[in-house]
Amino acid sequence: MIEVTGLTKQYGNITALDNVSFRVGRGSVFGLLGPNGAGKTTTIKVLTTLSKPDGGRALIAGHDVVKDPIAVKRLMGVMPQENNLDLDLTAYENLLIYSMLHGVPDPQTKIPSCLHLVDLWERRAELVTRFSGGMQRRLLIARSLLTEPSVLFFDEPSIGLDPQIRRQVWDIIRKTRIDGRTVVITTHYIEEAEALCDRVGILDKGSLIALDTPDNLKATVGEYIVEFVNDEGKLIQQMCKDREEANSLVLCKDCEVKIRKSNLEDVFIKLTGERIE
Amino acid sequence: MMGVAWYPIFLREMLLFRRKLLRISYLFSAMLLPIIYLLTFGLGLGRMVQIKGADYLSYLIPGLVAMSSMMNSYTWVANALNLNRLYFKNFQVFIQAPIRPSAIMVGEVLAGMVKGLFASGLILIVGFVTASHMSITPLFVLTLLLNCFLFASLGVITGMLTKSYEDTATYNNFFILPMAFFSGTFFPVDRIPEPLQAVVWVFPLTHTNFLIRQNSINSPALLSLVVLFLYALTFFVIGSRLIRDYSE
Repeated sequence: MIEVTGLTKQYGNITALDNVSFRVGRGSVFGLLGPNGAGKTTTIKVLTTLSKPDGGRALIAGHDVVKDPIAVKRLMGVMPQENNLDLDLTAYENLLIYSMLHGVPDPQTKIPSCLHLVDLWERRAELVTRFSGGMQRRLLIARSLLTEPSVLFFDEPSIGLDPQIRRQVWDIIRKTRIDGRTVVITTHYIEEAEALCDRVGILDKGSLIALDTPDNLKATVGEYIVEFVNDEGKLIQQMCKDREEANSLVLCKDCEVKIRKSNLEDVFIKLTGERIE
Repeated sequence: MMGVAWYPIFLREMLLFRRKLLRISYLFSAMLLPIIYLLTFGLGLGRMVQIKGADYLSYLIPGLVAMSSMMNSYTWVANALNLNRLYFKNFQVFIQAPIRPSAIMVGEVLAGMVKGLFASGLILIVGFVTASHMSITPLFVLTLLLNCFLFASLGVITGMLTKSYEDTATYNNFFILPMAFFSGTFFPVDRIPEPLQAVVWVFPLTHTNFLIRQNSINSPALLSLVVLFLYALTFFVIGSRLIRDYSE
């Protein structure tokens, strides 16, 4: 469904994307994970026709995002990182304008259905400026679904939300996985990538440094992590391939030790030596 | 759908404009500057002045109409586009919609025209009450529409080029404000020293001010009309291209 080959983007002297390539199959949920400034949003901007790449190629359902942008726009729904709703319009008016822009055939049916999905139907006549951050994120999801897109892009869908609201947003995103729809999510939240994605690409400083299923990626660092604070007060994390290895490591330590399952951040640490911030 | 692809952009602006109109502060700010000019130049200084045998107010009101149409068409579009593009990021919603760049341009320009015409209408109402001679000819209406179109298109260009909100004020101070004062709004252009007149006739507002005070089309009027058409066309094409080439 999505085919990205050698994508490159420069901003002055800064390389935002450096020869990034990946494929996303129809009906799958693909995550781009990485710290701020890794190139996740730039990738989404190129794929959603907001930004023109300096090199490489990106195809969505066979349509080139640079050469045939209108065809690409007809296929996609976008939930941007910023809340780019019109704050001085009501929730309903926001969706109405969007549906007209995209030529949605039956907005009178579609808009209520999308607002019900995100539980905002009762608030449809209120100005968006009165909505909380979580409500605005939900309205953005509703807006992205109006056109019944084949490909959905969620750029940091739960950024800035408290854990409870974040889980509500995840539930809504899970509901969008219907009818073979392809979903691309960017996130710097480890749990979000693990909870939602079939495959994850890890980006760092504009380069794609790993690409696989979350389980396969975690398998590269081992199943368990043993954590303890050393004599110098520094947190040490040791990767163990199984529980037995972790237990034997614990027996050797005479300080407080914690054993936990590995996660995608451990993969990132192994690859870059740094944490995802 | 593609034939009216500009309509949602226009409708959005009108919905936002309607909400602004309900706030008294908006109406007050839209009227404030022309009223100040009217009071100081028209009713104050103007009592001692006659231009071409007529009272000064009858000369001033069409100029204020032209100036208000320019200011409002231009400023609203330039400011809104700048803010929507750089801060609120909702301009990106238009870019990501399956419509042509020219549809975005048409929607923005028509919305700017409505705002310019609205402000001009307010001045006209004042004019009919205060001036001894006021007439609206077809040429007056055509000129006003062209002026709004032209400056709304210029507003799109500024809104697309500026890199910060402060930039908009800079463009305003260097181009729009001098045009407002030297293009025949407050006094005839022939009172300006001759070498400067050539510069002043480059300003589109000078042609608007000239045309808006004509009763019928003669050769100089036709030339000014052509100049305004060319400006309008050029600004529209440039604005559309800037939207087409938009890339973050």
